Amino acid sequence: MLLQLLSYVAFMVFLVVVLAKVVKYARMPLHLRWELYPIPHEKGREYGGSYFEELDWWKKPVEKSLIGEIKFMIPEILFVRGVYHDNRKLWYASFPFHFGIYLVIGWLALLFVGALVNIAGLPSVNPITTFIQSLAVIFGAVGFVVGSIGCLGLLMLRTFDRNLRHFAAPKDYFNLLFILAIFLTGLLSWTSSDPSFEVSRDYMKSLIAFSPMTGASPSLTAHIALLSLFIMYLPFTQMTHFVAKYFTWHTVRWDDERNMRGSAIEARVGKVLNYKQNWSAPHIKSGDSWATIATEEVE
Amino acid sequence: MKRQTIRLKDISKSSEQMVELNPADFMRLPYPYDTVDSEPAFKQLTEEQKKKYEVSVDGVVALSLPRPETKAEEDELVRKFLSGLGKLLTKENNWTFLQPLSLTLEYCAKCQTCNDACPIYTGSGKQEIYRPTYRSEILRMIYNKYLKRGGKALAKFTGNDIDLNWTTVARLAELAYRCTLCRRCAQTCPMGVDNGLVTHELRKLFSQEMGIAPIELHSSGSMKHLKDGSSTGLIPVALKDTVEFLEDDIKDRTGLDIKFPMDKEGADILLIHNAGEFLAWPENPMAFAIIFEAAGLNWTLSSQSIGYDAVNYGLWYDDVQLARVALKHAQIAKELGVKKIVIGECGHAHKAISVIADRVITGELNIPRESCMTLLEDIVLNGKLNLDPKRNDFPVTLHDPCNLVRLMGVVKPQRNILNKICPQFREMEPHGVKNYCCGGGSGFAIMPSMNFPDWRSSVSGRMKFKQILDAFQDVIDPNIRKMVCAPCSNCKGGIREILSYYDAWEKTGIAYTGLVEFIVNAMVDIGEPYIEWPDEM
Ligand code: SF4
Ligand code: SF4
Repeated sequence: MLLQLLSYVAFMVFLVVVLAKVVKYARMPLHLRWELYPIPHEKGREYGGSYFEELDWWKKPVEKSLIGEIKFMIPEILFVRGVYHDNRKLWYASFPFHFGIYLVIGWLALLFVGALVNIAGLPSVNPITTFIQSLAVIFGAVGFVVGSIGCLGLLMLRTFDRNLRHFAAPKDYFNLLFILAIFLTGLLSWTSSDPSFEVSRDYMKSLIAFSPMTGASPSLTAHIALLSLFIMYLPFTQMTHFVAKYFTWHTVRWDDERNMRGSAIEARVGKVLNYKQNWSAPHIKSGDSWATIATEEVE
Repeated sequence: MKRQTIRLKDISKSSEQMVELNPADFMRLPYPYDTVDSEPAFKQLTEEQKKKYEVSVDGVVALSLPRPETKAEEDELVRKFLSGLGKLLTKENNWTFLQPLSLTLEYCAKCQTCNDACPIYTGSGKQEIYRPTYRSEILRMIYNKYLKRGGKALAKFTGNDIDLNWTTVARLAELAYRCTLCRRCAQTCPMGVDNGLVTHELRKLFSQEMGIAPIELHSSGSMKHLKDGSSTGLIPVALKDTVEFLEDDIKDRTGLDIKFPMDKEGADILLIHNAGEFLAWPENPMAFAIIFEAAGLNWTLSSQSIGYDAVNYGLWYDDVQLARVALKHAQIAKELGVKKIVIGECGHAHKAISVIADRVITGELNIPRESCMTLLEDIVLNGKLNLDPKRNDFPVTLHDPCNLVRLMGVVKPQRNILNKICPQFREMEPHGVKNYCCGGGSGFAIMPSMNFPDWRSSVSGRMKFKQILDAFQDVIDPNIRKMVCAPCSNCKGGIREILSYYDAWEKTGIAYTGLVEFIVNAMVDIGEPYIEWPDEM
């Protein structure tokens, strides 16, 4: 049960710390606008325009295009589009790396569904079970291979590309090697002991049912242990950029919410202006609120 | 000579200079500047200046930061720096940018995707210290090592093993003035990290905590603006004289009898210019007056202190100064009872009062702010003036001010106008929200200290000059007169300096002006051409 315990702890740590990060960023006070164009929710202004292009813009209704945002987000998340356009060399490694991770996440989800179906009593030889399991094999196998290639590519770039090497820290290599080890042990256990991922699914089942399990090969055990440790470690690193990217886009780059009289934004502005600052430069009276220092006459 | 490799940690190591700038290393320019000897000599600092000021980054001085005299003084400055950095990360002191800054400090993947987007890094021939990530990574390292729990213990493993000493702080201060805040790098960052913001926050740390800022931005800039009425030194009485002079000039040049409406209560529009226009480019406010009168608008200027100068230098280095000036502008508009404030051709003034200070101005002070571009577009495209494009029949290209375009989304109106009235209008590449800064952004255009202007024209403005030359390559013969339209005071200043540094008028026939000048030049009712070329002045 030691392995299961590790997986449970990892999952809990992951949830709690990631959630704490989300809460931390979400609770930060309203900031000044700092948008960056193009903003894809600006309807009909794909070239990068804003509502400021309208005469008497404040008299016009706010038109936001959710579709515009989605059209930006899907290729960005799935295919790392920004890097494709602006850093092709990196993309050749970054795309397989990320896509490999997505596939492995899909693989875990399929194992989870397969385990549930199995617990629900569906026989192991049954079209639904077979379909789920076959899909899991595709996701897992392709994910491990593609992910390993991406990971190796990133390691090579970090080591040999001048631009990246100068900024690289031991931690960066450690993280990549850690992930590579997960991909490789997954690959090894698939090729050597668990070709249909049924043992892996049984492990998932044991996690769901809180039951002991035997029969995991050393490579699968190593894979599970490493994956669990990684899940536990991840939230403490900047690899949580999947959380950050929501905020950097939605609440910074794309935040063009107008402050109209009587609006919710105005109420929030009123609140932050009452914060008491303590900057030390001579032109600022330390201890006064923002509202006070912004309106006092300078000497 | 092989260039020395500069590492992150080198910033803390005392040396005379981290890099020697050599124009031969800079990005190559197009014809007729495509040879190294077409590059003007880069002014070097005197030995005395080197002794007196911190010059150890690149031998260029933006800040005129005096060297501390004792070790105790140095330590105190380092302590203040760290305390300021801590304050940047508290909501009470920095609610204004806490969320964007925290995200930027935490999430850089060091992928360097942003590097090539930076005109200063590429223009300089890829000097390591100008990499958009260089100063950001240093700040991040200091934060991670000195302010985060366990930071020192893990510093080697996490790559944050940096020494925080006066050398580091002094160089960071100068490096905060080797970036124009154009945020082109941020546009390409796959994480949404913003190196321009790091520059902005660093400048704030120095100003708001340590009282360190370029004289031109602070004591002779925003402070002068708040105390005397304008950062140009133009006091209210002098403004009235200037306006009278402009009225006479309009009469002389066009025969029109135009009175600038001053402090007209209840007007529809309060027009605020960058006051630099009154002094350096009076043809611009004159053209506005001609157009607004011809279009029958109900408008006014303010003669109240601060109300006739739209600049807001705080945008570049100090949130407190930003808020002070923005609130004064709003207060003056409220007292006049106008329906809206229209900002003249000044990019940073546009962004300061429309975008950034939008979350400072509340209640009755929250009077709508509008770009002059949309208003002018309405006038030109809806036939409110009698215009003949043939009067502008010479090659014209358009510079996009970063603050107006990438950072505010006003992209089309100005090109719609030029497309309508300039038959030989051609775009620069890239343009619109992908434009390059004029090199004078974030205050650089008004910072003339020591050899900084040389750096500005040959490094930070280099990419812009290349774009301008590229846009006119088919008509590069100096006998063909051509014009860059720069609808922003600071950009005009930056471009004026580049063109003069390279003798561009003599060698290529390229001149510059604002946008309204083209409109008046096309007005059929005005007899003489309104645009004056350098050889006619
Ligand atoms: S700022 Fe963005 S693009 Fe630049 S190195 Fe960091 S993550 Fe990469
Ligand atoms: S903001 Fe502009 S000048 Fe500054 S680092 Fe980024 S691209 Fe370069």
